[in-house]
Amino acid sequence: MSLVAEAFVSQIAATEPWPENATLYQQLKGEQILLSDNAASLAVQAFLQMCNLPVKVVCRANAEYMSPSGKVPFIHVGNQVVSELGPIVQFVKAKGHSLSDGLDEVQKAEMKAYMELVNNMLLTAELYLQWCDEATVGEITHARYGSPYPWPLNHILAYQKQWEVKRKMKAIGWGNKTLDQVLEDVDQCCQALSQRLGTQPYFFNKQPTELDALVFGHLYTILTTQLTNDELSEKVKNYSNLLAFCRRIEQHYFEDGGKGRLS
Amino acid sequence: MAAPLELSCWGGGWGLPSVHSESLVVMAYAKFSGAPLKVNVIDNTWRGSRGDVPILTTEDNIVSHPAKILNFLRKQKYNADYELSAKQGADTLAYIALLEEKLLPAVLHTFWVESDNYFTVTKPWFASRIPFPLSLILPGKMSRGALNRILLTRGEPPLYRVQEVEAQIYRDAKECLNLLSNRLGTSQFFFGDTPSTLDAYVFGFLAPLYKVHFPKVQLQEHLKQLSNLCRFCDDILSSYFRLSLEGTSPAGQETVDANLQKLTQLVNKESNLIEKMDDNLRQSPQLPPRKLPTLKLTPAEEESNSIQRLSP
Repeated sequence: MSLVAEAFVSQIAATEPWPENATLYQQLKGEQILLSDNAASLAVQAFLQMCNLPVKVVCRANAEYMSPSGKVPFIHVGNQVVSELGPIVQFVKAKGHSLSDGLDEVQKAEMKAYMELVNNMLLTAELYLQWCDEATVGEITHARYGSPYPWPLNHILAYQKQWEVKRKMKAIGWGNKTLDQVLEDVDQCCQALSQRLGTQPYFFNKQPTELDALVFGHLYTILTTQLTNDELSEKVKNYSNLLAFCRRIEQHYFEDGGKGRLS
Repeated sequence: MAAPLELSCWGGGWGLPSVHSESLVVMAYAKFSGAPLKVNVIDNTWRGSRGDVPILTTEDNIVSHPAKILNFLRKQKYNADYELSAKQGADTLAYIALLEEKLLPAVLHTFWVESDNYFTVTKPWFASRIPFPLSLILPGKMSRGALNRILLTRGEPPLYRVQEVEAQIYRDAKECLNLLSNRLGTSQFFFGDTPSTLDAYVFGFLAPLYKVHFPKVQLQEHLKQLSNLCRFCDDILSSYFRLSLEGTSPAGQETVDANLQKLTQLVNKESNLIEKMDDNLRQSPQLPPRKLPTLKLTPAEEESNSIQRLSP
């Protein structure tokens, strides 16, 4: 969104309270959604749960095309549509709910840096695994991505998306990486997250922030999604405090009193 | 380690040992960790490759890409990070990711995509260091690669347009600079008193932005307002790079006498000031004062010229 449009949206957002019928759109849970999109969607759900904002999850096959930026998930609140975790956090902040108000400047900088780390390494690794690793692509991704559409559209869309993702990987320098190198990067990233978390319950001690939501979204999805090989989830399982962290958030925000449901 | 390490990278200018961010990162890290590095500057002979610069060659391997080169140097026991705690190591990774996601697109844009900058500064500089006829092809290729990277990571498919993302990437970059400035605070380096990998990366990304003279300078202006980041760059330049340029002492992690450092900084500031005044004087129009300023002057110079006219 351009700067003017963003300023306009945040002005409008500030005037209305959070409605009861806010909806979050993602792709079809059972057949279509992929690892990276599921992670992003779960992160947003976790964030909204942490802010105590009710939201209904709706699954649509064309969610990616409905979204204003082309990425899922997106939320439909009142008469505004906002997609991706970053803009959603800002939108929610404009409405007066924020998880990171209690942090000082240095901590906010750290939080942003760690969120970029997760986006840079974990998300890119997930995309690589889904779209550039031939085994996974053949067995899982192609079949899932095009499943709501009839032949030949399902093949065409899947190839188009694969081509797009491969272009992006090449542009950022991941085009020549082997799977082992990617898994090593994931390991490094998890190690950094584990060291930062240490023995605390959340990344910034007592209160969860958007960083916790993002990390939970990605790690939980990696741990619970079945791929052709389990190496990705094995890398995460090496770090017990990250496992405990995911378990804690799952229990607190998703099973407690039936607030929200996890796939 | 006895194996000679040779680094081939782009050369320097405007007071920097190298104008290319990634080369600068590797050079800075080598200085911080004390690795003896022989620097081969790419020039316009056909010797050497200029593909994936910077490239580190030892007797048996060739390593490209700054992250891999740094890993290699660490394995050779040139480690600038061994004093860092585990959490600080994790922070390093996070901040490097922040730099690459938020600052790099805008730096690439300033150098390679912004047409004024590209055609007046970047392209001539790189073309003069590449042999003909590659000099006609390679800068264009690098520029297109930079544009590609910006659009693919920030643009919205399927219509990638650069105007839409320009405002966003500059805003992100300014935010990133503010965050770095907040994190640095008043300390000399990011983690205490000794420089580490993060300092090398920040220096590598910021120093070209800070020193190279561009026509379109919005990001540079923003950086210059963050005085602790400017001081950080100047400190590293004066303590780790001036010595080797003068050839008086071997490269390495030497602690410069604090007084000498301060003196050098003062002298540098003075000479910068004198240079600026000199520039202004030279560029003011040599015509009688009644003449209106020409359209070529930038607003800043117009202002300084009008001030000169007002003084007796």
